Amino acid sequence: MAFRSSLAIAVRALGRNRLQTSLTIVGMTIGVAAVLAMIAIGTGAEAAIGDQIRAAGMNLIVVTAGNYKVKSTDDFGGGAVEPSAALGLPDPLWRRALSLVEPTLVAHPEDDPMEKHDHPTARQRLGDSEAGLGSAATLTSADADAIRRIRGVQYVAEGLHQNVHVAADAKRWFTRLHGTDLQLPLIRRAWTFPNGRFFSAREQSRAEQVVVLGAVAAERLFGGENPAGRSVSIWKQPFRVVGVVTTASWMVAPAPGDDQFDAVYIPFTTVHRLLNLTKLNDITITAASTGEVSRIMNDVTMLLRARHRITDETPDDFTVTTQARQALAKGGLRPDVARAVVGNVSGLDKVTLEQLGKTLDRATRTMTALLAGIAAVSLLVGGIGIMNIMLLSVTERTREIGVRRAVGARARDVRSQFVLEAMTLSVTGGVAGVCLGLVVASGLSRYLHWSTTISPGAVVVSVSVAAAVGIFFGWYPARQAARLDPIQSLRYE
Amino acid sequence: MAAVPLIAVRDLEKTYAMDGPPVHALCGVTLAIQRGEFVAVVGPSGSGKSTLMHILGCLDRPTSGTYHLDARDVSRLSDDDLSAIRNRQIGFVFQGFNLLARTSALENVELPLLYAHRNRIAPAERRVRALRALGAVGLADRASHFPNQLSGGQQQRVAIARALLNDPAILLADEPTGNLDSRTSIEIMEIFQRLNAQRGITIVLITHEPQVAAYASRIIQIIDGRLVTDLANASHRAAAAELAGGGHG
Repeated sequence: MAFRSSLAIAVRALGRNRLQTSLTIVGMTIGVAAVLAMIAIGTGAEAAIGDQIRAAGMNLIVVTAGNYKVKSTDDFGGGAVEPSAALGLPDPLWRRALSLVEPTLVAHPEDDPMEKHDHPTARQRLGDSEAGLGSAATLTSADADAIRRIRGVQYVAEGLHQNVHVAADAKRWFTRLHGTDLQLPLIRRAWTFPNGRFFSAREQSRAEQVVVLGAVAAERLFGGENPAGRSVSIWKQPFRVVGVVTTASWMVAPAPGDDQFDAVYIPFTTVHRLLNLTKLNDITITAASTGEVSRIMNDVTMLLRARHRITDETPDDFTVTTQARQALAKGGLRPDVARAVVGNVSGLDKVTLEQLGKTLDRATRTMTALLAGIAAVSLLVGGIGIMNIMLLSVTERTREIGVRRAVGARARDVRSQFVLEAMTLSVTGGVAGVCLGLVVASGLSRYLHWSTTISPGAVVVSVSVAAAVGIFFGWYPARQAARLDPIQSLRYE
Repeated sequence: MAAVPLIAVRDLEKTYAMDGPPVHALCGVTLAIQRGEFVAVVGPSGSGKSTLMHILGCLDRPTSGTYHLDARDVSRLSDDDLSAIRNRQIGFVFQGFNLLARTSALENVELPLLYAHRNRIAPAERRVRALRALGAVGLADRASHFPNQLSGGQQQRVAIARALLNDPAILLADEPTGNLDSRTSIEIMEIFQRLNAQRGITIVLITHEPQVAAYASRIIQIIDGRLVTDLANASHRAAAAELAGGGHG
C-alpha cells in the first residue's frame, strides 16, 4: 500500500513534465533494446552453431567403404581395425565410458609402422577409399536400401565422389562431383536453393543427366547469371542444370575448395549409368532421434556384415562413423572454420563433436559477452541520462519538496518518491526497450538472415537490469532531495 | 479554556551557526497558546517570528528550551516523528501559496493524505474529503483547475483547504495575505475567523502588517528574538462584517 501510493505520487510527478520524461525514457529504451538485441544475436549465433553441430553430426552416421580407423593425421595411411567392430559385438561398457573422454583409439598390430606383416594390411586388403572411386568397392545401393528399412533411420543418401571438370560454354571449373540421393537436402538442413531445386525422384530413377550446382561452382561457371535451365558438360556429356544450392546459415560462407558448395550434385544413378558402376563410396544416414545413433550404428554394422557375408573372424569391410572428421568434411561446417576454432587441438580427427561444440560455444559466448558489453555502454548512458534528469528535477522541484515535507512527508518518503520516479523512467524505458529489442531482433532475422534468439530469461534480465540502473542512478539525486532542509526548500526561489 | 495549553514553549532559543558569529534568532521565548485561540505574531522582518513559526510548525528544532504540543514534548523528536506531527496536527498556509504546479486543485488538496502513513485512506475517500475541504473554502467548482488557472485568492483558498484536510489542531499561516490585494486579504481572514469560530481550530498568524494582525483575538509582538508584548485583542476586526459592508476603513 505504501509502495502503491508512493508509486502514484511518482507517476503523477513524472506526468507533469512529459517531454523530459519521454526523452529520458527514450534514452533508456535504446540502451535496453541494444542490450537485448545484442544478446539475441549472440545467443542466436550460439544456438545456430549448436543447431549446425546437431545438423552436422549428432544424428549423422556415415558408412564408408573400406575399413579405416584413422589414428591421427600424420598416420593417415595407417589404418587400424577396431577389433570389437570387427567382431560385430557391442562395445563393452568400460570402452563406452572411455570413448566419452576421448575418441576411440584401440591399438592394433597393424598400427605399428615398424612391424613387418606377413599378411596384407587392411589397406592392401580393402583398397583405399580415399584414393579414388571404386578402390574399396564394398557398398552398394542395395545396401543403402536395406539400411533404409532399419527402424529409427530418418534419411539415407548414397554417395559417390569424384573430382571432375565442369564446362559451361568457354568456362571450365575443376570441382568435386557428388553422386547422391534426392534425400540429401533433408540431411543438410542448412541448405537453401536460391535458384531452381534439387533433382527429383523421377530424374533420379531415370538416371537423367541433371545437375545441381553448388553456389561456388555456379558463380565460377555462370557469374551472376541464373544457371537453372542452362547446360553444362561433365565427362563430355551434356547435363541440364536444375538448381543452385547454397547455405542459409550465416556462419558459413561458401568458398572455393569447400566440399559442399564448390561442388556439383547429380543423381547417383546417373553416375552409375554413365561410368558403368554399381558400388558406392559411402552412405550417409541420419537417425530420427540422436539418442538412437549408437543403436542404429550397431544395427547397420550387423546388417552390412550379414549382407556382405562376413564371418565372425573377419573384420568389417566398411566403416561406420559419427566422427568429427566426417562432420567437418561433409556436415556443413567449413573445415577451415572448424580448424581455426580448434587450432590448439592437434589432430582434427580426434576432435569429437562434443569437444568441437564446447569450443565453439566458448567462442560464441565470448562474442555474446563482447556484444552485450558494447550495448551495456548505451545502457550506462541511459542511466546517466536518468541521473541527470533526476538531479535537475531535484533542483527544479525544491519548493515542491519543501511543500511535501511541510504537509508531512518524511525524508524517506521524498527519497522513495525520487527513487521510484527514476525506476519508473527506467522500467518504462526497459519495457519499451524490450519491445524495441524484439522488433530489432526479428528484423535482423528477417531481413539480414541473422540467427537471433530471445529467451524469456533475457527479457527478465533486461527489465531487471533497467530497474537496477534506475535505482542505482536515482539513488544519489533522491538522497539529495531527501536531505534538503524543509525550511530552505520552502524559501527556495 | 483547558488547563493544559495546546502550545507551550519555554525559554525557546534558536542559534544559527553561520560562517561568522552565531546569530541568535530566538532568545528565550516563553509562550502558551490555548486550544481555539486566534493569535497573531507580529514583528519586523528579521525579528525571529518566522523562526518561531518553523519551530511551532515542527519544521525546525530549537537549540534549547522545550516545546510541548498538546502536552507532548516535541522539541527532541526525530525527523520522522516531526513529519507525522506536521501531517496530522499542523496545517500550513504560506505567503507564496506553495501549490504544486501542473497539479489540479483537488490533487493539491489531497497531498497531506498521501503521507498519512498511520491512517491510510483509500483513493476514493481521499477524493471525497478533498472535495469537501474545497467546498469549505468555496472552491468546489474549481477542483480540476490547475493553480495557474486560479487567481491569487483562489490559490490561497486551495492552500487553506489543503492545510485543513487532516483536521489539524493548529493552522500556521506565514504572511498569508502578503501576495494578495486588500479585498482578497479580507476574504482570507474571513475564512480564518470562520474556521476559528465554527471549528475551533487554533490559528497562529505570522504577519508584519498590523491591520492584518487586527483580525486576531490575541497579538504577540516579537522584536530581536524576544517576546515584547502579548495582548488580548478583544475588539478585533470582523472580516465577515467588513465584506458585507463592502470594504473596511
